[in-house]
Order: sequence, then structure tokens, then C-alpha cells
Amino acid sequence: MPLRRRKFLCSAGVSLALPWFDAARPARAQGASTPAPPRRLVCICAPLGFYPGSFIPEEKGTGYKPSPYLELLGPHRQDLTVISGLAGISGGHQAIDGFLTGVPGAGQPGIRNGVSVDQFAAEQIGQQTRFQSLALSGEGLGLSWTRTGARIPAHQSPSRLFAEMFLDGKEDEVQSQLRGLAEGRSILDDVRDQAKTLQGELGTADRETLDEYMTSVRELERRLVVAEKWVRTPKPKVEAEPPKDITNRADLIGRTRLLFDLAHLAIQTDSTRLITIMLAGATSAPPIPGVSLGHHDLSHHGKDPGKLAQLKLVEEECIKVLGELLGKLSQSREGDQRLLDRTMVYLGSNLGDASSHSTMNLPILMAGGGFRHGQHLAFDPQNPPSLCNLYVSMLQRLGIEVDRFSTGTSTLNGLDFA
Amino acid sequence: MLRLLIFAVALGLFVDRFFIDSTAAADGEAAVGQPASRFFAEHCRKCHSGPEPQGDFVSDSLALDFTGQPMRKRWEGVLDQIRVGRMPPEGEPRPAPAEAAAMVKWIEDQIGGAEAARRSTVGRSPLRRLNQIEYQNTVRDLFQVDVDLTGMLPADSNGGGFDTDAESLHLSSYLLESYLNAANIVLDEAIASGPRPPLVEKRIEIKDDPGTKRHGVYRHLDDGVAIFASDLASNIQLVFWNFLTRHRGKYQFRISASAYQSDKPVIFHINGGTDNLGDPPYLIDYFEAPPGKPTVFEFTRSMEAGRNIRLLVDAPVRPRDLPSLGGAEKYEGPGLAVQWIEMKGPLIESWPPPSHRLIFGDLPLEPSADNPSRREVVSKEPRADAERILRGFARRAFRRPVSDEELRPTLARVGSKLDDGYSFERAVRVGLREILLSPSFLFLRESGAKEESKPAVNTSAVPRPLLLDDHALASRLSYFLWSSMPDEELFRLAEEGRLGQPDVLRGEVERMLKDPKAAEFTENFAGQWLGLREIDSTLPDRQLYPEYDDLLRQAMIPEVNQFFEEVLRNDLSVTHFVISDFGIINQRLAKHYGIPDVEGLEFRRVAFPPDSHRGGLLTMAAVLKVTANGTTTSPITRGAWVLGRILGTPPPRPPANISAVEPDIRGATTIRDQLAKHRKEPTCASCHLLMDPPGFALENFDVVGGWRERYRSIGDGEPVTVDGRRMRYKHGPAVESADRLFDGRAFGNIDEFKALLASDPDQLSRALASKLVAYATGTPTTLADRQGIESIVGSVREKNYGFRSLVHEVVQSELFRNQ
Repeated sequence: MPLRRRKFLCSAGVSLALPWFDAARPARAQGASTPAPPRRLVCICAPLGFYPGSFIPEEKGTGYKPSPYLELLGPHRQDLTVISGLAGISGGHQAIDGFLTGVPGAGQPGIRNGVSVDQFAAEQIGQQTRFQSLALSGEGLGLSWTRTGARIPAHQSPSRLFAEMFLDGKEDEVQSQLRGLAEGRSILDDVRDQAKTLQGELGTADRETLDEYMTSVRELERRLVVAEKWVRTPKPKVEAEPPKDITNRADLIGRTRLLFDLAHLAIQTDSTRLITIMLAGATSAPPIPGVSLGHHDLSHHGKDPGKLAQLKLVEEECIKVLGELLGKLSQSREGDQRLLDRTMVYLGSNLGDASSHSTMNLPILMAGGGFRHGQHLAFDPQNPPSLCNLYVSMLQRLGIEVDRFSTGTSTLNGLDFA
Repeated sequence: MLRLLIFAVALGLFVDRFFIDSTAAADGEAAVGQPASRFFAEHCRKCHSGPEPQGDFVSDSLALDFTGQPMRKRWEGVLDQIRVGRMPPEGEPRPAPAEAAAMVKWIEDQIGGAEAARRSTVGRSPLRRLNQIEYQNTVRDLFQVDVDLTGMLPADSNGGGFDTDAESLHLSSYLLESYLNAANIVLDEAIASGPRPPLVEKRIEIKDDPGTKRHGVYRHLDDGVAIFASDLASNIQLVFWNFLTRHRGKYQFRISASAYQSDKPVIFHINGGTDNLGDPPYLIDYFEAPPGKPTVFEFTRSMEAGRNIRLLVDAPVRPRDLPSLGGAEKYEGPGLAVQWIEMKGPLIESWPPPSHRLIFGDLPLEPSADNPSRREVVSKEPRADAERILRGFARRAFRRPVSDEELRPTLARVGSKLDDGYSFERAVRVGLREILLSPSFLFLRESGAKEESKPAVNTSAVPRPLLLDDHALASRLSYFLWSSMPDEELFRLAEEGRLGQPDVLRGEVERMLKDPKAAEFTENFAGQWLGLREIDSTLPDRQLYPEYDDLLRQAMIPEVNQFFEEVLRNDLSVTHFVISDFGIINQRLAKHYGIPDVEGLEFRRVAFPPDSHRGGLLTMAAVLKVTANGTTTSPITRGAWVLGRILGTPPPRPPANISAVEPDIRGATTIRDQLAKHRKEPTCASCHLLMDPPGFALENFDVVGGWRERYRSIGDGEPVTVDGRRMRYKHGPAVESADRLFDGRAFGNIDEFKALLASDPDQLSRALASKLVAYATGTPTTLADRQGIESIVGSVREKNYGFRSLVHEVVQSELFRNQ
């Protein structure tokens, strides 16, 4: 007898949610063994990076002495790998567009960006959850890119996303939502026909643009169909209070914490398995005691010791919030494992040194997710493998059979499955 | 034709074949590659080959293919390296200048030829999507509603170029979804579904406002309240809670105020915000209250529902210092006396509003069947009315005549919705939304005129691109100058087939530039040409730049915009953009620039004294701010800015594997010393000798555009006192701005540098023409456009390089008028 999702979730409670176990799907339920619980990926980008001297440990291997920032993550030492030496695409702040796509020159005029690693994965495993993927942002733009080279708008309001994930609408709202979806689909149906007619009349370059249009129409149609299914499916219930948005743009730590909490809930309830988070890099001073300047301006410290000290305060707070996320993921259980063991948390940046806009020697942490951790993987900054090799490792760890992604041509040496 | 043939042969052949097997080249199998092959064999291959090529560049991987974008980009990279002489590097056998020049020309010709051939078949720019601003403006003009959609539509990624760049304007299912939702919002706004919102009128006597009893900055007078200080950060401001707007619309405000204890005007500003003080406020405007009898300040603004306003005084004293100066009761300094404030709105001229009548005409409204509090448009002949409405709408939305064929699916859909029991209005809304989602609305379709304009037998070697048809021309023109759809006049001229006539086109450009919508041209073209959209991406360090305040910030962009418009309006020479004996400034900027005798906030034309160092774009605060971060200036960044934006010769991108030189503000070393080291490295020198000098010319200007002769330091240096107050920064090393341009011409300071730039008006016009063409056509200019640009430059040369003439010449040019 099929299990009723809602009932199941209520009885399981928030700490024991096993929503991936979908008994409503006979193919799975009748399989020889219980399906393996899903794997997840959270990609986080700190757009201003971290002060290299406080982040990257001096020794490599398992016996490294923690750097000041890693000291803050002490309890999670065995759950994470520090990676240094890898390089991003060049282009300073603009290179952030290529952070998860690896497309050389992304962010520069005339360069078409490619699909980001989370969206690549979403094409394979996204259909199984209410949200194929989630793009979140503490301030401004997000990290995820579609195959058509367009940026996916990021959720910036935790309260709204919380409502979308966990609060069921009233019956008439659901009805009007369904009606809207149906209307949307019929509109898309017609405009696709118009595009087809138009296509016959246009030159090749225009046809490419129109292909992009048709692809987008098709994708949106598919998403509206899936959305219809989920509108009818009761949402998981969580005990957590709905978050209140922080409107103060300068409060980058508070905003980051809200996003991390939401990411944790989204994973715990299996609302999605793929999340990208752009951290804020505010221009005005964050409300942290001892900090009087904006994060961006601090990152251009001009070697001023006063600024460096303030920068360190901001970055330490940021690392601490990450520690909180790792803590929550390791306390939540999924079957006989910690949620952290099934969730890769990747923290990186497009900048190795924001002060000089260098995109070399990036600060990277990979935590959880089922890798053999506890080490500092130090690559030669002068001759590093592609950052996208790390993404190949992540994709494989998600169970996706690929041996290359973007400029990555193998898995990352030294980062092995646990 | 011959050229095309050669390309066909060359396509897919790799340069490497000619290197390795030089006999093949000698055989004349494809002699086209020969100059390249010899050059590459002699100068590149030694390092750029094998298993570990230098700089990750393998010369053999360059194919003789100039049509494909990726390969062309690589050739352009090679071109840059050779042109600036960075490659081959010092110490290796270097080509004779003539040999390098020949190589440069050869690559340019190949790229230019390939591009021209491509254009002739597919047109200049691919189908271009409306960008966020164009969408918003188009919807505004299409429906005559003023609705803010910026939060709804994802920002466009333009990679630092113009946001009209067709190649960067991608589409995704997410964007389509936003369009679907935005269409709903616009229709809700355009269609009157309820009764006319009531007019609300309120008046507050400031003395009665409870807010004036707090904070110790207010003194109650007979007829009002004097305010001596405000501070947003600690919420010392007057918030008019009673003025919360209930409906979106235009509101009129009136404020009675005068300067108090002051013989000079006192400045104040009004912010808008929500009823949550945590939400960031937005500036409505600055005002200055003269002394004497109270002045009534009246202004009308569009407000969203749920907004209120706040009043803050821009006084020289901070609230926390007031107690030590005698407190609000005894303080003798200047303040603002406010008597009363009034609000009236929403101001609605007619109901249903024009937007409603534009769609539905005079069709009656009745209470809706499923929701009696809502009113809906009804029709006795729903099908006929729907068809009439949608036909008229589609023509305007698609910016051209619409065939029955095209409209059929939409009409069928509306028909079937009516059959399904949809009400008339709801069915029509589906049709309207469909039109707003259609590719014909979302994309600017640049269709060519009919074949007849083309000679039957094409005698030239390269086939020529087609002229745009009149409707496509109308759109290109109106998105160029208005960032929005054509108006009825342009429609009419296009329908009559007259828009393409040179004199008609000229008349239209004049008409459009005089229209208020031309402010979009300034905002969007000048704003992006000069990078001004980045104005708030850094905040100046308060310790180093305590003089930076919001009043200065708010004056920066208007200075550039008004100067740009002044040059445009009067057809002044483009050299004014680099050197000018006047500027358009207000009191705050005058103080910043050290210009005497400019009182008041309004902007006016001011003649700059000869020793002011000001005049022209380069020395405007906004430009100097966006080319710096909040702490330091870098000659490299500013130099690259001048080369790319003003001279149109952007330096090559920095090599991937280097770190930037960082200025140091500890006062021990200057950027000049640091870069001097850099310029001694042969590999760095080639670019830095190009980039740094224009940057050094601007080194006398700090991060907020103030003049400096000494760097400000937070470490070593001499103490500084301003207006009797000891500053937290010190005077560090002296600034040196003299340098020598790449071509050897020396300059001693910014004034001499400006003169050098202005001495080549051809190059300034060339650069600006190229930017205008890129912005207007959605495609950057390339080597293939050289001739077209030169002919524009040739025409403005005869018109004293007037900027308005330049805009005209661009519009008249083939580059603009062709597909």
C-alpha cells in the first residue's frame, strides 16, 4: 500500500525525514533492495574570497596545522578537505560568471557562458524533487547558468522561498495557481508555433537565437507540467519558524545564516538536492563589532593593518556561519548516516586574492558528501589542474556518469570517495 | 566571390601544415597562408609548441578559419600580442617593424573579409532580445502605464559592454517565466478592475507632529519647528507616518520651509520608504530653503502603495554634537524652519485610465460574475471585439504590420477560451499575454528591405548586406535614442515608406532628440560608455575621504549627463569630452572642485578658471570615482579606461597568470615606484607603457575626484588639518603625474595630457562613432567596419567634429541602416 507522503513526514518528524524513499513509485519499491539514499550538492561562492594568509594552511597532507580560519572549523576537520593551488578563469570580479561553469572568458563581452555544474546535474537528477535545483543569493546575482548561457535568477527572499517550500496555499489559491499554470502552458504552446513559423524566414544566426527561445519554451512547459504535479502534492512540514527577511543589505552574515538555514531545511526535507549560494559582498559596513567599512572596500586593503584586521573579523564570521551549517548537517541523520555524509558542501571563490583581483590559488573547502577528508590537497599554483576536475569529482559523487565537465577532463587527483 | 572561394579552401586547413611542410605552401596549394606561416615559423613556433607550450598557447592549433567566433577570438589575441609588440618577447629574434605591421594587416584583412562575407548573408547582428530597460520602457509606452518591473525581471549579463549587445542577451525558461508574470502585473495595472481610487488630501502642522518632540534637535517656534540636525543612521529624521499611500499613483507634496538663523539657504532632502524603517529608504530630492519668508516647495512623484516620506536636514552639525553647542534651545547655527506639509493623491485625470481605454476603448464595465467586487469589461460581440483589440495591439507590440496568418493561433486560442466559458476580459487577457510572450514582441527583428534595392548582377567581390526595411529602421532608431518602441509618428513614416529618406531620417533624429524620452539615450548610452552604472559599487573610505557625502554623490551623475546633453544639444566638438573650458555643476561640486562663486543646488553652466584642471569628462568626479576603488586609485585601471572608452584602443587583456599591482596606502611607497619596477620587466613593459601613462595623468585626482598633490596615508606622513579639524589621515608622498605616451609624446600634468588627446579629434570621433554603432546595432564594431567608421569620421570632420552631427552621421551610415 502506498505510503501517504504527508502522513509519513509528520510521523517521521523533521529529524527523521526520509522523503527520498518514495513508496509511491512501484518500480523502486519493488526493487531488490531499498534504493540508496540520495546525494546532494551545495555550492557556495564567496565573491571576495578570503585573505589567503589566514585561509590556506602551510603544510599539506593529513598532518597540516590549521590556518587561523580553519581553526574555527576545528570540530569538522575530519569532515573536510582544504584545497589550494587551483585557478579560476581570469577576469577578476567578472570571472564569477564562470565560477561554476568553468567557461574561459565568461563574464567578458561576447563570450557565451555555458551550463553550471549544478544545472548540469539538475538535468540528470533534478526531476525527483519539488525544486530541480535552488539558486540562492545573499545579494545580487546568482551562480547558476542554463545551457542557453543565461543566468538563473536567484532567490533573495528567504521568507518567500520558505513559503514556497513549506507552506501550503489555501484551496482557492491552489486552484488559481493551477489555472495560471494551464493558461501559461497554452500560451507557450502558441508562441512556440509562432517561433517555428518565424524560423523559416530567418538567417542562421537568428535561427540560433530562436532555438534558444524554443528551448526555453520547452523547458518552461516541462517545468509547468512538473509544477502542476507538485501544486497538488502537500508540502513537507517543518518545525522551524518561517524566517524573517533581513532588509539591511550590509548585514551579510545575518543574510548568509538565513540562506544556510534554508539550505539545510531544503536538503533535510529533500525539497531539492542541488543548491547554489552566492554570498553577499556588501559595499556598506556590516554590523559586526569592530568593523566600520564595507566588505568590498576592506578587500582592497592596500595592506593597511587596520583594514586587514577588520577584513579578518568579517571573514571569520563568514567561516563561523559555515561551521554552523556543517554542524547542522552533521547532527541531522538520514537512515544510519549523518546528512553531511550525503551532502557535499563546496565553498570556493572566483578570486584567490581580492585585493589584486587575482584568480589564482583559490581558497577552497570541500566538506562532507562522502569523500575521504581530513587533508590539505595542495596543488602547485603555477601548474594546477583544472578547477573543473573538482566538478567532475562532484558529479561522479552525485552518481552521474561523466568523465569530463567544461575544462575538466578527469576527477581531481587526491580527492577520493570514502 | 574570389575571396569567398579562397576562404572555402582555407577553411579547416591548419596553419601548422604550412609550418611543417613549407614545400606545400611553396607549391602554391594555398598561398594565402604563406605570410602567416613564415612569420609563425620564425617567431612563434619555437616556444608555442610541443608538450609544454609557453602561455598554454600552441601556435599550430590556429586554424586558417576566421569565420568561427572561437577561432577568430584566438586570432584577435595573436593580433593584440603582435600589435603592441609583446610577442615575440625581448631576447628572442624580433620581426622588423614592417614585417610585424604586414602580419598585423594580414590578420586584420582576413578577419575583416570573413566578417564582411558573413554580414552579407546573415546581417550585422543576430535577432536581439529587448533588454530589461527596453522591455520596461516598451511596456510603458505600449500600455501607457508607469509600472516598475525592475525587481521582476532578472538583470541582463552584459559582460561589461553595452546591455544592447545581441550576443549577450540570452533567454532562459526562467526569463520567460518572468515575462509571463510581468505581463500579468502590467495588465492588472493597465486595466481598471475596480472603482476609481479615492483622492486623499492631508496636511500636517509640523508643530503638532509628535516626532518633533524627540531627539533634542528640534526647536518649537511660533509658526513651526526649527530642525538643526538629522542623521539617517541613528533614525533622527521626521517620518510622516500619516502620509502612507494606499494606492500606487502620482502624489503631490507641498512643504513650507525657510532657512533659520542663516543668511544663506539651508539644504534639506526628502526620502521615501515603507512603513518598515528597516527597509532601505530612497532619495526623492534635495531642496534648498532660502532665508526670510517661508517658501513653498511643491513636487509630484509616482509612489507605490504603502510608501511614506521623511524629511532630513543637511546641516553642518551632527545631532550628537548639538548638546555641546547649547542644545536645540540655545544653538546659534543654521537650521531649517518647517511650517507645514501637505500631500494629495493619487492624482488621476480620468477613470478608467488611458491605459484601459487604449486596450478596450469604450466597452462597458460590469461587476464580474465570480467576484462582484471586481469589475470586468464586457462585450456584446466578444469575438469581433477581441479580434479588433488584438489586431491593433499586435501591430504596436510587434512594431510592424501583422499578417492574418500570424495572428490566427492567438485568435483561435481566445476563441476557445470563450468557448470554455472564460469571460470576455479574461479571454482577451490571454491573447494580450500571448502577444507579450511572442518572439515578435521580445526580439527586435531586423528584416531587410525587398530585393529590389539590390542590383540584379552583383559586380563587387563581396556581396553587400541589405538595407533595413522601414519598420525595422523605425525600431532601430527608437531603441537607439529612446530605448523604447517607435511612436505613432515613426509608425506612420514607416508605413508610408518615407523614413528611409535621408532628410526625413534627419528630421526624425532631431525630433526624437528634443523629446524628453531622449534622456534614455544619455542615461543608457553615456552611462554605459563611461561605466557610470558602477557608481555605487564602492564606498569611499570614511577615514581617508571624510568629505564624501550623499550630496556630492547625488551631484556626480547629473554633472556628466548634463554636460553630455549640452555638447549634444549645441553640436559642440567631441573634443569637449576631453577638454572644455566650461562644465555644468552646482554648489556642492564647485566646492569639491575649488571653483568659487557657485551658490545653490541647481546645475548651471560655469566657466572654469584656467588653473582649475577641470573641464571634460576625464576630470569629472563620477568618472574618477568609477575608475577607482574606495581606497586607492590605480593608474592601470584608469589608463585602461581612457584607452578603451575614450580612445577606442583597449589594451590587451592581462595575461592569465599574473597578479595585479596593488597600491599601498601605508605611505612608504607610491604606485609610481611600484609600477616603475613593473615597467622594467620586458614582458610587462609592452602593455604598461601603453596603459600606465594615461592613468598617471589622472593621478592628481583621488578616489572621489578631488584634486591632490600628496597621497593621503593612514600610516606615515604629516598631520593634516581642514577647517580647524585634525583629519584622521596624513599627507603621504607627493603625486607625480608627468609621463610619456606610448608614441613618445610627453606631458607634465593633466592639462597637457588633455591637450594631447584633443589634438587628435579624428581618433576621438572614431572611438565614439564605434561606440555609438555598437550600442545602436547591438553588435560591437569589428575590423570589417573600419571603412564605414572612417566615412562617418570623414563627414564629421567637415562639421567641426560636432557631436550632434556625429549622431546624425551614424544614423545615416550604412552601418546603422543595413541589416
